[in-house]
Amino acid sequence: MIRARLLRIVPLALLLAVSGWLIARSHAQPDRVDLARAFSAPTASALLGHGEAGVDLASVVPHAIARAAALAVVVALAGFALGAPLGAAAALARGTFERVVDRACDLVQSFPSFLLALAVLSAVRSPNRVHLACVFALTAWAPFARLSLAEARVLRGAAFVEAARALGASRLRVLVVHVLPNLMAPLAVQLGATAAAIVVSEAALSFVGLGPRDGVSLGSVLDQGVFAMLRAPHVLAVGSVGVFVTSLSLLIAGRAAEPRAR
Amino acid sequence: MAWVRTLLSRVLEAVAVVLVMASVVFFAMRLLPGDPARLVLGDEAEPAQLAAIRFKLGLDASLPVQYARFLKGLATLNWGESLRHPGEAAASRVAESLAPTASLATVAVLMGASGGIALALLSVGPWLGRRSAWIDRATTAVAATPLLSFAPLLTFALAARARVVPLPGDPDAGLGGLLFASALLAVPLGAQVARVSRASLGEIAQSQFLSVARAKGATSLRTWVVHALPVAAGPIVTVVASQLGALLGGAVVLERLFERPGLGSLILEAYAARDLPVLQAAIIAAGGFFVGAQVVAALAHAAIDPRVRRP
Repeated sequence: MIRARLLRIVPLALLLAVSGWLIARSHAQPDRVDLARAFSAPTASALLGHGEAGVDLASVVPHAIARAAALAVVVALAGFALGAPLGAAAALARGTFERVVDRACDLVQSFPSFLLALAVLSAVRSPNRVHLACVFALTAWAPFARLSLAEARVLRGAAFVEAARALGASRLRVLVVHVLPNLMAPLAVQLGATAAAIVVSEAALSFVGLGPRDGVSLGSVLDQGVFAMLRAPHVLAVGSVGVFVTSLSLLIAGRAAEPRAR
Repeated sequence: MAWVRTLLSRVLEAVAVVLVMASVVFFAMRLLPGDPARLVLGDEAEPAQLAAIRFKLGLDASLPVQYARFLKGLATLNWGESLRHPGEAAASRVAESLAPTASLATVAVLMGASGGIALALLSVGPWLGRRSAWIDRATTAVAATPLLSFAPLLTFALAARARVVPLPGDPDAGLGGLLFASALLAVPLGAQVARVSRASLGEIAQSQFLSVARAKGATSLRTWVVHALPVAAGPIVTVVASQLGALLGGAVVLERLFERPGLGSLILEAYAARDLPVLQAAIIAAGGFFVGAQVVAALAHAAIDPRVRRP
């Protein structure tokens, strides 16, 4: 059933393709304002309607989705690159190192990352996406480290690892050549989950006013929607659906790599 | 007494986490590029004003001296004075806003935990038959739906349009408002609890001690609630504890959504006004609130699970 699982990439691919098409089609900048049309309802020429100060949502939302997805994928990959070797190395080293990494993952994973983001961003005058990426990367490694620790604990007793050791492979070689490649499938699923969580966090930070100043974010669209809830419910709907669709399609895409049920 | 030692180490860890959190706040403010005094006053500030603010925030001393003063203030709960409301201690502003957030979070944890456990019992018990698979599917779907995308829509539909519940930001919304806000916050938690409890209960479903209980004539309800649930409690308490961070983030979002007073609103207000002492105090207090809840979770685990309680 390899093909059926690969189909799980389709929602993300569709979302990005539609966003890309909309970005290419509307040559206007996403932050172009048209005060006369503030919060006006969807029409044939502006399919999603207009938001605060008359921004065209059909132009803002695709940009916001593309930027959020790019940020999420970059941070998730960084977390993967930091966490996977750390967890696997801890499992192979055993002893104190293993316990420390295990407990550190516990703490970081349950930590209110939203607070951490507030703490760091409060020192920055106007947060941009690079700041956000750095803040998210502070905690993004933990789920990868924990997962690869758990998986590598099983693998370290496997016959092929023992054989590699017996043949004189160094610890590094065992880690890189024999253990890490076998961790890829479960970690890829985590990649999707982490990316989805980052899309939501980015939107949440923008929603409360700590997002990128350009305002091209699903969270800002939601904020406008809440502000004009009764006048223009379409803005709220567009923001909500945007966050939902983007995070869910990333989550599903990650599960394309899901290993077959054991 | 092994569990006393476990608990002690948890408390020490909690203190360490608060210390790290506070230090992140401290060093982020001082080491990241940008001058905090300019952050407060803006670019057009006079040098004399900047110097006054630096003196007030203690930024004129060397970094180790500042850090020592900061730690002393942290230990004695002396967190400085609000810049925007002179004469008002940052700690008292935090204390005021702690109660609304604490009640919101507590009610949400109670709702989410009890709702999630009830769903898991329904799904694992014999009452629904084959239909119980629907519960599992529904909880998986809800767990994948972010609070940020359903809370504003539900608020619009239920509070603004249909008016079946009060807007929680309304000063006279009272208990109804608190319950509605907590219920929103409880939904993601409840879904996670339901999934974990379902797995945890499913693992012990075939255990001998449950067969013994049934053989002695216990009803299904009694078997699952009295005999199975305490044994399955470990992972359930752990998942609640691990969701507390997300819960706190959700509380900030909801307080902003409803313009409800609380710790989250205070943090955002202090951020917007660049009221650095209040901002620091509020973030540290929120961190302390979080680790305190973690210790409570560890205590609850010890109290519920007979295997942890035993010396």
